[in-house]
Amino acid sequence: MKIVRIVLQLLVLYGFLLIGEAIQALLQLPMPGSIIGFLLLFSALLLKIYPLEWIDAGATFLLSFLSLYFIPATVGVVDYGPLFSGKGVLLLPIVVISTLITMGAAGFASQHIANRSAAQKEES
Amino acid sequence: MMAFTPAALIFSVLTVTAYVIANFIYLRFRKTPLNPVITATVALVAILVLFDIPYATYMEGGDWVAAFLGPAVVALAVPLYKHRELLQKNLVPIAAGIFAGVIAGLVSGTLFTRWLGFTEELILTVLPKSLTTPVAMQVASTIGGIPSLAAVFVMVAGFTGILLGPYLLHLLNIDSPIGRGIGLGASAHGLGTAKAFEYGPEDASMSSVAMTLSAVLGALLSPLAAWLLL
Repeated sequence: MKIVRIVLQLLVLYGFLLIGEAIQALLQLPMPGSIIGFLLLFSALLLKIYPLEWIDAGATFLLSFLSLYFIPATVGVVDYGPLFSGKGVLLLPIVVISTLITMGAAGFASQHIANRSAAQKEES
Repeated sequence: MMAFTPAALIFSVLTVTAYVIANFIYLRFRKTPLNPVITATVALVAILVLFDIPYATYMEGGDWVAAFLGPAVVALAVPLYKHRELLQKNLVPIAAGIFAGVIAGLVSGTLFTRWLGFTEELILTVLPKSLTTPVAMQVASTIGGIPSLAAVFVMVAGFTGILLGPYLLHLLNIDSPIGRGIGLGASAHGLGTAKAFEYGPEDASMSSVAMTLSAVLGALLSPLAAWLLL
């Protein structure tokens, strides 16, 4: 019966996606409907409107093959070969450097603030 | 949009088969460059080039596989919910790290590409590179970038995190589970989270939380960044 539960929960996830996409289209929001669906599901779980047990198996199953779903898109580079033989190759070091800046900023900010609030707790 | 054609059947089965074999190879050797997304993509691209199959024909089947992306993004709410206690206990440092990372990533990516004179379409394609692939692709298509190229840059960002991340973290004295986890997850998404596992379970949880929150914040701020910086 586990397979039935997973299939039903996948349909629920798809339902959240459809609602998210409907809201996106209705309000003309500049963000993907899937993110709105994500926010709806997360809120429903936090507010205990929707119990975790009714979505856990399906979500875990779906996420265990996450990388499969974007392979069709990455195969799309087949149409962009010429870009990387020219100036476009410079996009790669840009991404590398920007990624390192992102990591440094995120890691430094979170560690710095965590240490500071820990020090404050010790003082008080 | 989704067709029931012979091509749809052939190429969806081919994609899943390539993924299963790629995963098998990865689990057998466990080497980072053998990441299943990379090996499966290379194999499929080779098949398309070899047999002169247009990408549009391949996508008749590819669309069936890609249809799971949207529900998978929604499903990310479940692991985030499971980490809610960790999130509550460290709300301020996590929020600070996510904001700093997302803004640094959006601004630096946009400015560098603009300074080098790339077209607006390419700037908007580089913009969401730090977000997890499904979100990055959807953000790219929402703001006017190229989703499949965006996915490539997301991979480059992920490998940067895995290969150079440990040196940078060491250099900046980022040595706590929260600092390392948030740094890796905010910049290198799922691949960074896999790396964070090597530091320990707490790093991995932090990284997974950072990956999801960065994706949400990045999706919210990308249109704004595009509007402000272009």
